[in-house]
Amino acid sequence: MSESAPGRIVDAAELRRDAEETPDVCVVGSGAGGAVVAARLAARGLRVVVLEEGGYYPPEKVKMDEAWAFPALYQEHGQRATADLSITVLQGRAVGGSTLVNWTTSFRTPPRVLRHWAEVYGVSGLDEKALEPHFQAVEERLHIGPWPLEVVNANNRVLWEGAGRLSWDREVIHRNVFGCQNLGYCGTACPVGAKQSMDQTYVQDAVRDGARVYAHARAVRLEKSGKRIAAVQAQALDSSGKPTGRKVTVRSRLVVLSGGAINSPQLLLRSGYDPSGRVGRRTFLHPVVASAAIFPDKVEAFYGAPQSVASHHFADRGRGKVGFFLEAAPAQPLLIATSLGGFGALHEEQMSRLAYANGLIALSIDGFLPEEEGGTVSIRSDGRVRLDYPIRPEIWEALREGNKALARVQLAAGASVVYSFHENPVVMRTESDVALLDRAPWEPLRVGVFSAHAMGGCAMGRDPEKSVVDSRLKLHWLDNVWVVDGSVFPTGLGVNPQETIFGIAHWAADHIASAGG
Amino acid sequence: MWRRGRYRRERILLPGEHEGRRGFLKWGLAGTALLAVGGGTWLATRRTRPLPALGGPFQVLSPLEATVLLTLAERLVPPREGFPRPMDVDLPRRADAVVALAPEATQNELRQLVRLFDNALTGFLLDGQFHTFTDSTLEQQDARIAAWQTSRYALRRTGYKALKKIVYAAYYGSPKVWPAVGYPGPPPLDASERPQEPAPKRAEARHAEPKRGEGAPEGAAPQRPRPRPAAPAPRELEEIPAPRSGMDLPQGGKP
Repeated sequence: MSESAPGRIVDAAELRRDAEETPDVCVVGSGAGGAVVAARLAARGLRVVVLEEGGYYPPEKVKMDEAWAFPALYQEHGQRATADLSITVLQGRAVGGSTLVNWTTSFRTPPRVLRHWAEVYGVSGLDEKALEPHFQAVEERLHIGPWPLEVVNANNRVLWEGAGRLSWDREVIHRNVFGCQNLGYCGTACPVGAKQSMDQTYVQDAVRDGARVYAHARAVRLEKSGKRIAAVQAQALDSSGKPTGRKVTVRSRLVVLSGGAINSPQLLLRSGYDPSGRVGRRTFLHPVVASAAIFPDKVEAFYGAPQSVASHHFADRGRGKVGFFLEAAPAQPLLIATSLGGFGALHEEQMSRLAYANGLIALSIDGFLPEEEGGTVSIRSDGRVRLDYPIRPEIWEALREGNKALARVQLAAGASVVYSFHENPVVMRTESDVALLDRAPWEPLRVGVFSAHAMGGCAMGRDPEKSVVDSRLKLHWLDNVWVVDGSVFPTGLGVNPQETIFGIAHWAADHIASAGG
Repeated sequence: MWRRGRYRRERILLPGEHEGRRGFLKWGLAGTALLAVGGGTWLATRRTRPLPALGGPFQVLSPLEATVLLTLAERLVPPREGFPRPMDVDLPRRADAVVALAPEATQNELRQLVRLFDNALTGFLLDGQFHTFTDSTLEQQDARIAAWQTSRYALRRTGYKALKKIVYAAYYGSPKVWPAVGYPGPPPLDASERPQEPAPKRAEARHAEPKRGEGAPEGAAPQRPRPRPAAPAPRELEEIPAPRSGMDLPQGGKP
């Protein structure tokens, strides 16, 4: 075990001079990938330093207030989106990464996805059997288990009842919570520490085993030396995210990039590392369409566990079609107001009925069509990151059919009226109105499209010319760098990604330790 | 209106008009080129409100930019019983605070977008309106918003989306709006009942593939949530109740 000083979380915002570290491992990012790897490597006695650009927000520092949470806890202060703003992208930016603000939905990786990765991308050794013990371990540590149906909130119950009446598959969701009070504020970070987010679990484990975690330290450059990364350069940021001028330099034997599907490619590109032109390519988002329904009785979709029911009835729609799955979304005022289509009196009318509103989402499963390339992460000439995601016709078709499925569920569950998220919202009062969605415009910025599942960009695969990391998540062309986050997925997933990232990170830590130990 | 159509197609360099063909029109968020072409005020007067009336001074926005955003907010949220007016929620200051967090390049794009949206020449060329946005009638203002919203040029719709998001985030982020939408605000916390560091509890193994068919999964013992206290009346969020007893993690020290 580590003989060094006990670990701790250091706020780089308060550094008075530049800092240098020489641990065994530098982990960039403290979300679902980085925290698990850091904890597992620290437990083996390796000296670990974690660089995290966001701040550290223990439960007592958290406010159940969207106007505080989006700027404080989300990437780009809540403004992350594709360059044309057609897809809003929600991603966390804090110690714990997106796990601090996600809705706790936990699915294991569907085995058919792992088989697809093996068959199409030559990923070897990453199968259901290999992952099983790792999923068991993270499920135990994070208290992942099913949410009881009797406490599912009214918003999710709409999906449960509606899918039931339509005889569609439905299930209650497993959640990573312990002592959850069913408040409904997962998206602004759990105020009671019940969510088993990384900052409350694996980050603490890593710290207990000696890891040093720098909050407010943004990795900006990897320094290459031969076939190795010799140093990771980071900027210290103040609490609003602006550089303070102080630097943190980490020189380590091993480097693990865990910044997520936008920021890991970003860091590699900024550092000039893109030997085969695949970094930042094949970015997948599970593009989401939403539907709002007004019910005769109060739904209060702003309270209660935000996501607890799912339907994968349409996950596999056959060859050439993009599948989708259905879940619920919470309806707190700022998130809904900035997502609804239209403006003026109609927007206001919809907002005035927020307490009676149900919000459901359909998530399209991108990345499985043979010719599909997804989106692209690049660096603008002024240094800012840029995300582009042209929505293919097959994805638009899935979003349209997904929207129709949501409207059917809502009407079957007793909605008085259903609104699409078009700029000119489609208004549906009966089942026959659902066909109106066929005539609505399915084009960028005429209908709201969202994503909370950024994936890909450092895809794993056998061929170094077509992928970024190998089947052990090591960069193909360098000897001491691994990528461990959602960016390594060669496709979308078809389920919410956090548990896949936990499981793969838990699995990958063994390979990293044996390769570099 | 013949002039409008002709200009649109042939002469004037507007956001989106030559999308993909003119390198200098490749903007990030909103673009800039038109201001250089038609940034003057020669077509109409502007009605810039004085800073005190806007709730300034601001970190980023000029009085003109704040006026445009406030005027836009007054149309995105038209007068309605129970809904505060945008100035009641200090909208320009709230919008300014959000813009101030962005990188400087994004701030500049947003400010240019706001001025472009107000610009009289833009209005004239795109919508046949001879006025700045702030100096238009309410009907003209709504028409200009709708023209950007429904434009066949994606870049103009992008501009609309950016402005709309800023305004609605600033407005609906205010607790003063919560009563109008029937949102009682966050419930009180009973932090003392927070579970102490739990001993790891074994979760049952479960099916890996999302289950087909209905019914709650069997096997794993579901957790019981704690009852939620009744929601309180809306309140301003200043403080958060009692911190939990947590791990003692020193912060801010030098490494």
